[in-house]
Amino acid sequence: MELTVQLFIYGILMGLVFALIALGLSLIFGVMNIVNFAHGEFLMVGMYIAYLLSTFLHLDPLLSLPLAAAAGYLLGIMSYHFLIHHILRGPMVAQLFGTFGLMLFLRYLAMYLFTPDVRSIKEGLLVGKTLSLGWVTLDLSKSVSAALCMLSFGIVYWMIYRTKLGRALRATSIDSEAARYMGIDTKKMNALAWGIGGATVALAGSLLAHFYYVTPTVGMLFTLIAFAIVALGGFGSITGAFIAGIIIGLIMVVSGHFLSELKFTFVYIVYFLVVVLRPRGLFGW
Amino acid sequence: MERLLKDIFSFEDRPRFERIGFLIFILIVLIFPWVVKSAYGRAVMIKFLLFALFGLGWNLIGGYGGQVDLGQAKNVGFGAYATGLMMLWWDVPFWVTVPVGMVIAAAESFGVAYPMFRLKGHYFAIATLCVALVWKELFVFWDWTGGARGVEIPIRPTPNFTYMQFGSPIHYHYFIFFLFLTQLLFMNWFRKSKLGYECQAVRDDEDVAASLGINVYRTKVIAYTITGGLGAVGGSFMTVYYLYIDPDFVMPLDLSILIAMTVMVGGAGSLWGPIIGAALLIPLDMYLGAWLGAQKRLGVDFMIYAVIMMVIAAREPKGIWGIIERMRKKRTG
Repeated sequence: MELTVQLFIYGILMGLVFALIALGLSLIFGVMNIVNFAHGEFLMVGMYIAYLLSTFLHLDPLLSLPLAAAAGYLLGIMSYHFLIHHILRGPMVAQLFGTFGLMLFLRYLAMYLFTPDVRSIKEGLLVGKTLSLGWVTLDLSKSVSAALCMLSFGIVYWMIYRTKLGRALRATSIDSEAARYMGIDTKKMNALAWGIGGATVALAGSLLAHFYYVTPTVGMLFTLIAFAIVALGGFGSITGAFIAGIIIGLIMVVSGHFLSELKFTFVYIVYFLVVVLRPRGLFGW
Repeated sequence: MERLLKDIFSFEDRPRFERIGFLIFILIVLIFPWVVKSAYGRAVMIKFLLFALFGLGWNLIGGYGGQVDLGQAKNVGFGAYATGLMMLWWDVPFWVTVPVGMVIAAAESFGVAYPMFRLKGHYFAIATLCVALVWKELFVFWDWTGGARGVEIPIRPTPNFTYMQFGSPIHYHYFIFFLFLTQLLFMNWFRKSKLGYECQAVRDDEDVAASLGINVYRTKVIAYTITGGLGAVGGSFMTVYYLYIDPDFVMPLDLSILIAMTVMVGGAGSLWGPIIGAALLIPLDMYLGAWLGAQKRLGVDFMIYAVIMMVIAAREPKGIWGIIERMRKKRTG
């Protein structure tokens, strides 16, 4: 019983982190119909920022959050202006390979700078502490990270659904041609989607680094998890990303507990089944 | 019969400079091991031919069919493991294991193609990636495949043609060249076949193709199945050439990407594209990668790859062959 509750809670905590990771991918896809294969590498950048600050400057990894978000935002905007903008007109194959190239570039840049060694954060306010809640004991870093991820998700959600800028973003996502006629600078909206996408995923990365190892190749796995979440939630749906994130988190934690070697296989199978059986996902249109 | 042979062996419909270029290429490959004596140079040549072989197979679905398949490594793995395990367990001769590997890879491709081609574009590309990764994880997980430790092929005391084990790289050179040529001739037949034209029609516009009476779904499934079978051949070669295989070596994501990339860089959907792409990328990888590795500059070679990939995607989606074609059109007016 205790084990079930524990697994359930961990699944939800992981799911909240996953939801923030998938948010940017879903947003970018919704606004400009392009899939970012480098998404997990943006996450890796956030993780390395947290790791470097904690290891070399002895700053608490929590302080790296704003820095990671800013770096992710810049990275997203730069990717849009220097690469994505140029491949948008091309065929889909070229788009795929363009973001794939970006992924390889960031991954091997990290390998060049930081070597392939597996690293983890050793010091910090939350690292290695536990939180006792009656008869369940929780990892403090996971709990706080999940809470902060949910908070960030909420802020972005509010921005998209309650502000004028968000309305322009949503208009671009529904019909970019019509949005342009209405006087919305769609190119700016595209760049903004990449910026927000990069910022949220890098933020998630710096939180994830509290309890997950950092290596240059860590990104691919999370890219695929994010794909599965976005497919399950419906490409372009923000609400969908949140609920699907929690579902995938639960699947990974539970299956990982019983068959740890195959826990990713379950995620891929979920993706496969969802896109084949219900291509528009739970909340897509 | 005569018609079929002509379709396979004739390059008459290609312009003269292509035929001359192809002939020169064959001559260079034939005399190569007699001119280049360094073991490393020969290894580079063999790897180039291997990746040209992979590229030719992938070009069928990725180039002519226009479907981005990011999971070709799983078929390489099926071929490699079919050869490796059958040799290890039952001492089956190499030439028997090749068709078995091809049939297994083709059957698996057919099985997953059935649901997968309900998807298009990005959804399809990600699905191929997921399928390949699931297989890799399973091959690591299972015991009967040797798990993460992989499979070591028993070494024969004497070089022989039954198990295709030789002492010198010259044999392997001609051996892979033979496999490469058969695949090239197959692709030469394919591009002129009914299926080939159907694939290209589907790639250019599915709705138009369907309106012309082409069964789009069926065409894609057949093309994907054949591609699976073709990918296994190179895998079988890898087993007897390297004499050791494991999932990280014969079915990683990087291999899938590299295969797709050689074709994209060279020019997808053209007969020579995969060869050009492999001729550029493999020596780059082997020489630059080795040199940078010696300098402890890990990853720089892949960063160069990545830049090439992004530039090609943004500027020249048709690859190097696209540039050649454009230059020629300009000259002839």
